[in-house]
Amino acid sequence: MNLSLISLEIGVALLGVLVLLAGLWTPPHRRSALGFCTALGLTVLLALLVKQGMAIETLTDSSGGFVRDGLAVFFKALFLLAGILVTLLTMGFANRLRTGGAEVYALNCFALCGMLFAASANSFVMLFVAIELITITFYVLTSLQSHRLRSLEAGIKYLILGAAASAVMVFGIALIYGSAHTLQFNLIADGLAAGHMKQLLLFQLGALLLLAGLAFKIAAVPFQIWAPDVYQGAPAPVTAFLAIGSKAAGFVLLLRVLYTAFQVQPDGPRLLEPTAMFSVMAAATIIFGSLCALRQRNLKRLLGYASIASAGYVLLGIVALNERGAAAVLVYLAGYLFAVIAAFTVISILTPEDEDEDLSILANLHKRSPLMALTLTLAVASLAGIPPLAGFLGKFLLLRAVIEPAATFPWLVAVALLGVVASLYYYFGIIREIFWGTGQWWTEKAPETAAIKLADSQVVVLVVCVLGMLAVGLYPQPILEIANAAVQGLGL
Amino acid sequence: MDFLFYIFSALTLLCGALVVFNPFSRNPVTSAMFLVLTIICMSGLFVLLKAFFLAAVQILVYAGAVIVLFLFVIMLLNIKEEERQRFRKFGTFLGAAAVAGLAWILVTTVTSSRAGERSLANNAGETKPLGELLFTNYVLPFEIVSLLLLVAMVGCILLSKTPDTEDTNDIEEETE
Repeated sequence: MNLSLISLEIGVALLGVLVLLAGLWTPPHRRSALGFCTALGLTVLLALLVKQGMAIETLTDSSGGFVRDGLAVFFKALFLLAGILVTLLTMGFANRLRTGGAEVYALNCFALCGMLFAASANSFVMLFVAIELITITFYVLTSLQSHRLRSLEAGIKYLILGAAASAVMVFGIALIYGSAHTLQFNLIADGLAAGHMKQLLLFQLGALLLLAGLAFKIAAVPFQIWAPDVYQGAPAPVTAFLAIGSKAAGFVLLLRVLYTAFQVQPDGPRLLEPTAMFSVMAAATIIFGSLCALRQRNLKRLLGYASIASAGYVLLGIVALNERGAAAVLVYLAGYLFAVIAAFTVISILTPEDEDEDLSILANLHKRSPLMALTLTLAVASLAGIPPLAGFLGKFLLLRAVIEPAATFPWLVAVALLGVVASLYYYFGIIREIFWGTGQWWTEKAPETAAIKLADSQVVVLVVCVLGMLAVGLYPQPILEIANAAVQGLGL
Repeated sequence: MDFLFYIFSALTLLCGALVVFNPFSRNPVTSAMFLVLTIICMSGLFVLLKAFFLAAVQILVYAGAVIVLFLFVIMLLNIKEEERQRFRKFGTFLGAAAVAGLAWILVTTVTSSRAGERSLANNAGETKPLGELLFTNYVLPFEIVSLLLLVAMVGCILLSKTPDTEDTNDIEEETE
């Protein structure tokens, strides 16, 4: 076992354990120092990762279950960045948590550790263990505000549905092992290529169940049912981490399983009819997310439905089944990171302690805090795909991936464009509420006008997110190159 | 040995079905007891595969510890609600249809495929080879599982802790 290969993961796990221990001796009013130390530690790890650079050469450990290639490094950097921002965001939120003010940082680290392993998973054992580490940590994080009924409800729902999804996935893995006699992605691919697979039908059934488990992680229709409730009930920083981290982990695993293990190609052997399956799934996901978001007034629930719709757009990159589509997935997720974290930062600051996140809390935001109004406007515009922000680049690349070689699915493109139009409606509802909202018009209560004072950590998160969205959108060359290099190792 | 496999798997399926769909009783305790039977039959299957360690663990951990926990929870919570609930006809129909569909897929797949070509190595399921595998090839996932258990433990303590006492305790300790 080559320990230097997994030094990053060991670092994050150690950091988590250290924070957990330090939390025992930290008095409550000094807890934000813990968050600061965690963020600092993660930043150092990110710096080390970036310094090593996008390792193009592929390194695997002795058993072949762990791989470190361009794709893994890209997603590791993405997850670490998300982890840092979420930790900073949690610092401003920790006073709302009645228990676990210190443990929440450790749990964030453990979830992050699971994501880092997911980015490198090259066998089904590693895939399952990484997913379970992420999901079980999120069960706890979701129900962390245990004095709020909604938080508990979300936790229970996530636990039950997530456990069912895991069971389905593990059954799928068992069937795959039964027919392929190996759990390692490369060996499965070899077996498929050589035509050794005797029980191809059984293998396909296993693959189908496995993909169902992964679709649950990315909240794609018909496995989306948990997303709105969990997004609404979980504490805002947790929702942010769930929206980017857990979803991106699902996508990196999906990419690896499809391209490295199953070797699906447009003109390859007919396995599972991936193009048809994923195009139907993408279209259904976009339609469901967009329609449900249209009339939604709860801000977190609205973003929950919007995240379902955006999972549908990311699936477009997988429908394409080529390198360009995979690279588009990476670029989209990079832009999505900044937009989603920016939006949830604003929500976490604005939401009153015991009320719902109704759209009316946004009224007068441009007077109360210009920075937050600017950030939320940019974030929402980026999510809607307005140029020149990061979200536009991602959506454009995803659509181009489906259209360009040959418009195989005109109806899919039409659905995606309709979804974009619908998203303009519900995202601009948010912007309208910021600048022209009249607060709770049904109670005739005048909207708040008191200025909001932001903590330093919150300002840092907001500024980083704004810069990130603008940088990816205005100067896309580096991220495009990185993404293109990262997908080289997928075997497309 | 073949007939033993069929007996055990039929019993597993039957008991498993009785856990969730028992026409004679809606008592959760009965369901839990059928779960014990399911697990015992499954450990029989493991024995047939010469995976003695797994068979023993199955009995010790699942039939022993986990089910006892289930029973504790059921009896402590005193769940009567479930017993009174009638079967919903529409739900039962949908569920039966889904199960029948899945069963059809499974049966067609299993019958259309030949038995595995490779036979298991004779001692693959014994404790020593299992341990060797766990500490060589699968050492990384094995260690990640330990992290997972840590998270589960921290989570349990966090969620079951009463919220308000924590901070005051800390302040008291400081003043002392």
